[in-house]
Amino acid sequence: MKHLVAETSYPDVGRLSMRVSPWLAIATLCSACAAPAATEKKTATDVALEQSERKTSTDPAVNPEAAALAEFKSRVDAYADIHKTLAKGEAKPQKAASPDQINDTKATLAARVQATRVNAKQGDIFTQDVQPVFRRLLAPELRGEDGRDAKAVLKDDAPAAGTVRFTVNAKFPENQPRPSVPANLLLALPALPTPLEYRIVGRHLLILDTAADLVVDYMLNAIPA
Amino acid sequence: MSYRLSVFVLALVLPLAAAAQELRLPNAEGSVKFAVIGDTGEPSAGQIAIAKQMEAWRTKFPFKFALMMGDNLYGAETARDYEKKFAAPYKTLIDGGVQFYAALGNHDDAAQINYKQFNMNGQKYYTFKPQNGVRFFAIDSNYVDQKQIQWLDKELSASGSDWKIPFFHHPLYSSGKTHGSAELQRSLLEPVFLKYGVNVVFSGHEHFYERIKPQKGVAYFIIGSSSKLRKGDLTKSELTAYGNDSNYAFMLVEIRGDELFYQTINDKGMTLDAGSIRRAGNVEPGKDVSTQPVVPQAKPSPVQPGPKK
Repeated sequence: MKHLVAETSYPDVGRLSMRVSPWLAIATLCSACAAPAATEKKTATDVALEQSERKTSTDPAVNPEAAALAEFKSRVDAYADIHKTLAKGEAKPQKAASPDQINDTKATLAARVQATRVNAKQGDIFTQDVQPVFRRLLAPELRGEDGRDAKAVLKDDAPAAGTVRFTVNAKFPENQPRPSVPANLLLALPALPTPLEYRIVGRHLLILDTAADLVVDYMLNAIPA
Repeated sequence: MSYRLSVFVLALVLPLAAAAQELRLPNAEGSVKFAVIGDTGEPSAGQIAIAKQMEAWRTKFPFKFALMMGDNLYGAETARDYEKKFAAPYKTLIDGGVQFYAALGNHDDAAQINYKQFNMNGQKYYTFKPQNGVRFFAIDSNYVDQKQIQWLDKELSASGSDWKIPFFHHPLYSSGKTHGSAELQRSLLEPVFLKYGVNVVFSGHEHFYERIKPQKGVAYFIIGSSSKLRKGDLTKSELTAYGNDSNYAFMLVEIRGDELFYQTINDKGMTLDAGSIRRAGNVEPGKDVSTQPVVPQAKPSPVQPGPKK
């Protein structure tokens, strides 16, 4: 391939003659176009997401808690697979449903999950090994100003005392507010697959199947006193 | 009071009352017209009155859709509750073809995402574009996790030069005594809003109406008094541009080109607040500051702004 001779001016070194491959020139141009994205200023949200990724990573090279979190992830994924298998036919949520269909589907799905996990018990997902890791992940988020805000949110949106049953496969009480989960706590915890979500009631952490409205597992006293 | 004096007072008051019931929006052909309601799930007299006002105002301002700020159904969610708390009060609007787009509040069961009339298409957070030039983002502010933030970043980044209007339950800025600003959500959502030039944000949760002074170039409205009212809960603060916690309320909004017009109306059909927001030029995503300076141009309201504290 013939090389083109290009004259390029550099402010510091004056005029130079260079042999430049046209493909190299195109590649250089392309990388120059891509460069602004790579060097774009990170927002506070980008930084928070990166920290979250590190703290909850299941890669031992990045995170000393990786083994326990990997085990947690595999248990959560196993539940999600069960849910997927059961959420079929009459238990499959329809996207444009009537209220009757919504409630019938949810009840059918809940009954199937309860029957399939009849022997499930507390600690199946929040194992003894992972519970201290969760406490370590949550504790720093409950200190300082953000910690005060988080506790205020938990109090603000809390269901009435005694209404939530800490029992695997129990229904979340229908007439109670769904406690919002403070965003800083969510980012400190490993992400859950759909339709699982964390809920914090009092000092206790729950995993809720939001499609069936069932308690999947729970961990008592996850929040420091 | 003498007859003459009565006539004199009436002559003064009637034009004011009539003015308060006038449409203050351009009502232009081809513009994007919508209503905003929040915390609507309480089957109260206030809810019915607001729904009736929405019907009445729709005859002069034919909005095609309504945004719901969450807490769409308080308490139980049986089929009867869906009927009593949503379908019945808004029946005329639903039958008239108004599409409702809901966000989830802290009182809402996630199963609502499958309710046909809420147009959530099975998603807890979603985006829709009713007309060219405007895109809405329904956010689940109950659960701002990694996945949702990444979704929002991606969707906002792809929305080009449209007006970008997120709506969700918890207000990022609020002067409410009961709840106040949702600072934890703000710390994660606001940088994404600024990065992509979000223009206007609607929220609920507080059972009052508050127009917040523009924050970092973004306009924030709280409209959480469409079926519940928490009288005396709004402490006017440095955030407050206008507030009202003594009336049930809803909003009418119109977007025409680079200008958004709003009119907030109470359960008696009186205008509480009105004005416009102009965005400057096209959005250029990727900047860490909003390219949408907000210039509120509220006209004087016939109702006293905000409660006395």
